[in-house]
Amino acid sequence: MQSDRRRLNPPPGGTAPPVFATVPDAKPQRPTRTRKPDEHRKLFLRTGIVPSASGSAYYEIPPQQQQQTGLLVPQRSSLKITCTVHGPRPLPRNAAFSPNLLLSAHVKFAPFATHNRRGYVRDASERDLGAHLETALRGVVIGERFPKSGCEVVLTILDGEEDGWGAGGTEVKGGGWGIMTVLAGCITAASAALVDAGIDCVDLISGGVAAVKYAGRHGGQEDGVVVLDPAPSEHDGEIMAACVVGYLQSRDEVTEMWMKGDAGTQVQTLIDEAVKAASLVRAVLAEAVKDGVQAKVGEAEDEAAMAGSAKEGKGKRRCSGIYEAGHLDDLLVRTPF
Amino acid sequence: MSSNTITLPGQDLGPISSNTVGAGTHIYGDHLFASIAGPVHTTTLQAPSKVPSTLSITRPTGALLLPEVGTAVLGRVTRTNPRQANFSILALGSTGDVVLAEPLPAIIRQQDIRLTEIDKVTVAGSFRVGDVVKGVVISLGDERAYFASTARDELGVVMAVSEGGNRMVPISWREFEEVGGTGKKEARKVAKVV
Repeated sequence: MQSDRRRLNPPPGGTAPPVFATVPDAKPQRPTRTRKPDEHRKLFLRTGIVPSASGSAYYEIPPQQQQQTGLLVPQRSSLKITCTVHGPRPLPRNAAFSPNLLLSAHVKFAPFATHNRRGYVRDASERDLGAHLETALRGVVIGERFPKSGCEVVLTILDGEEDGWGAGGTEVKGGGWGIMTVLAGCITAASAALVDAGIDCVDLISGGVAAVKYAGRHGGQEDGVVVLDPAPSEHDGEIMAACVVGYLQSRDEVTEMWMKGDAGTQVQTLIDEAVKAASLVRAVLAEAVKDGVQAKVGEAEDEAAMAGSAKEGKGKRRCSGIYEAGHLDDLLVRTPF
Repeated sequence: MSSNTITLPGQDLGPISSNTVGAGTHIYGDHLFASIAGPVHTTTLQAPSKVPSTLSITRPTGALLLPEVGTAVLGRVTRTNPRQANFSILALGSTGDVVLAEPLPAIIRQQDIRLTEIDKVTVAGSFRVGDVVKGVVISLGDERAYFASTARDELGVVMAVSEGGNRMVPISWREFEEVGGTGKKEARKVAKVV
């Protein structure tokens, strides 16, 4: 792993957050899945949060369980993703002529996003996530309407799903299942941001994730139960296989599928459950996108009304970036928006 | 206007037989689907016409993201040479309704500056660096630039600054006059004030 020469780096062995002495009788409780196997966690999604970008979205899965008092180490997992879309923008000068839109997706974990601190330079798992996301979005964007242009989708994960459950601050070791939930969230967030940017899409793509798990710790279940929207911290050590899909509901098409682990005889069920999870997510996605567009339409109407009454100056507006000053300088007469 | 309901990408807008495809929609199978999120507009031709109405969806922030062939554009001249003038497109629409987030490069070739006597036109006598120009896109061009034309009365230089740095006003289809200063005239291909 090449060292990052532009910054003062932490020790190469990684840093561990401070371990606080816990109050003796406040034992950290292992989080368990309290919802049904086919129930998704509640999502938060909002578009139009970054005024300077063509389109943007913020996606969050809030923590499901209350933080226990007396403990400073977070016991619950949450996922926070912010996505910005820049484009369609002209290609660099020496790029070849391209009759279609050149889409590029970049995913980056913030250094503070996971239990084990990540570096500033993109590593292999982030590049892998970016490749999967690009595959998912390629099937959705209508590229031939934007010749000679490129579009950049940039995702930053502010709080990532932990791979397991770190009991009271110990090392989190896991099977790498957290990244699958992250990819599902990235697909949904990117879809919302693309629609917010006004880029022609075939449909709303939503990301869904499902897993096959071993028998529960508290017994009563047999091996091979398929659950959707697994939170790896709730299923620490129990996940056998997981699958992420990027799903287009109105066409009943899957544009991206990533499966990890050994699902045995449950492969088809696993994929079906992941598609079901994506359908549940799509309802939230449609609502959020509709709210965002309605807010924009309302703003555009307000501005048209203001221009009609010839008011001086600019009123309160949620900038969508294209009205930013500096592109037409003071020599041009600016029509009052 | 906004009494139209907001459609989302992927929403079915009906069979192709009853509506034709417009901006922001696409065809899949034999149905029309929405491509962007926004209000749906129906444009119907006059009664005698049997052409079905066109469904189109407009973006709340402006109709276009990129110029198409036939789009009026506003830009500023960045370079001139004897064969062409390079300018960077700053806004789309004849009144600059949609300001672009990133300027797009474009070229006006010598033969596209005017309609008449195109072999006698000189680029230096029509544009100078820094002029604000209204043109129309005639082609997507090559990988470097769009191709634009000012070969119409209402196209050409909209605003210009004299060599002395003073403001200039148009006085004919081919001259600007300096306001204040020396009152000199400078040759440009002037856009007709409509």
